[in-house]
Amino acid sequence: MKISKTLIIIFLAASFIGFLDAAYLTVQHYLGTVPPCAITGGCATVLTSGYQKIFGIQVALLGAIYYLTLFLLAVAYLTSSRKIFILLAALATPIGFIASLWFVCLQLFVIKAICFYCMISALTSTTLFATGIMIIINYRKQMLSKVKE
Amino acid sequence: MNNYESHRQEKLAKEHIARKKRFIYQIALWFSIIAGIGLIVGGMIYFVARQNLVPTNSLATIESALASDDWVKGNKDAKMVFIEYSDFQCPACAFYYPLLKKISEEFGDNLAIVYRHFPLPKHQGAKPMAYAAEAAGKQGKFWEMHDMIFDNQNKWAVQSQSKIKDIVVEYAKSLELNIEQFEKDFGSKEIEQKVEGHYREGVKAGISSTPTFFLNGRILQNPKNYDELRNIINQAIDENL
Repeated sequence: MKISKTLIIIFLAASFIGFLDAAYLTVQHYLGTVPPCAITGGCATVLTSGYQKIFGIQVALLGAIYYLTLFLLAVAYLTSSRKIFILLAALATPIGFIASLWFVCLQLFVIKAICFYCMISALTSTTLFATGIMIIINYRKQMLSKVKE
Repeated sequence: MNNYESHRQEKLAKEHIARKKRFIYQIALWFSIIAGIGLIVGGMIYFVARQNLVPTNSLATIESALASDDWVKGNKDAKMVFIEYSDFQCPACAFYYPLLKKISEEFGDNLAIVYRHFPLPKHQGAKPMAYAAEAAGKQGKFWEMHDMIFDNQNKWAVQSQSKIKDIVVEYAKSLELNIEQFEKDFGSKEIEQKVEGHYREGVKAGISSTPTFFLNGRILQNPKNYDELRNIINQAIDENL
């Protein structure tokens, strides 16, 4: 028995979008100028707030690595049909979800500015978390029905 | 028996070919995925690098003559005039602040660095800080206050609006200013109008973000780092000679 294809496709799409988003911010950070403060919009405020780094590493870079890993794990599952890959990916999704939750709170209550790219990332990591849970439930159901047989 | 054996071998060979095909398919798939990701990242790098080369508003200019009440670091009569429109609460402005300090040390009397206010409406602390710097300026310590405000930006920027005044009075005390005078100037119409005037001039010049730099009246694309900024100024000096 296989895990629902729709779930896997959503998982692939969300991790890919998340990767594009985080990779863009990473490239912008290492190549671009310091984002100036515009009359409207809050990206500069967020991206230069001091909270854009963890242990001296850019959060955007960590995000890009995280999303790429999930994406590759999902591809590995699709090509090999080994469930361990997708289960690993699903089990990793709470990391991104909790990180995103933290960053949304920071933006709303501490930095008091909203960055569009960070919000996209919050959306993709939430989608990944929800899909991840469903994948695990799906897998458990299958295991249980196997045991019953 | 023989028949069975050959049949079995045929089956094995078929399986072998199928496995080989699958293997090649896997390699091709992974190769294209990695190549695709490489292309995407490469494309982004190209896009971002190009974006930095094209000036956003290269035609924007500003009168390079100094106003009598401008705050100038370096030589007032220098041929090279570097005007900064800045917001004390903007993190990007705080990033450029030590760079400009270093520039002023390096170029000394060959350069006039001018600070003008462009407090963005979304930064609630930017205006009071601009007033504080101006009020300190009335007692001859504009740049000292300017430095103090930027040095502590991440501390006061997170404080509530109501605490800002206490904070600037603290700063004024540590700069040994006459506090009574400072408080009077801090709330004065004159200073408020000066800051407002800078802002309006900036809007007229087409400024939409901070910091915005002008070198001899011409707008600059914000440099990435100290070396780039230094090169821009050096180049302008060479052209002017």
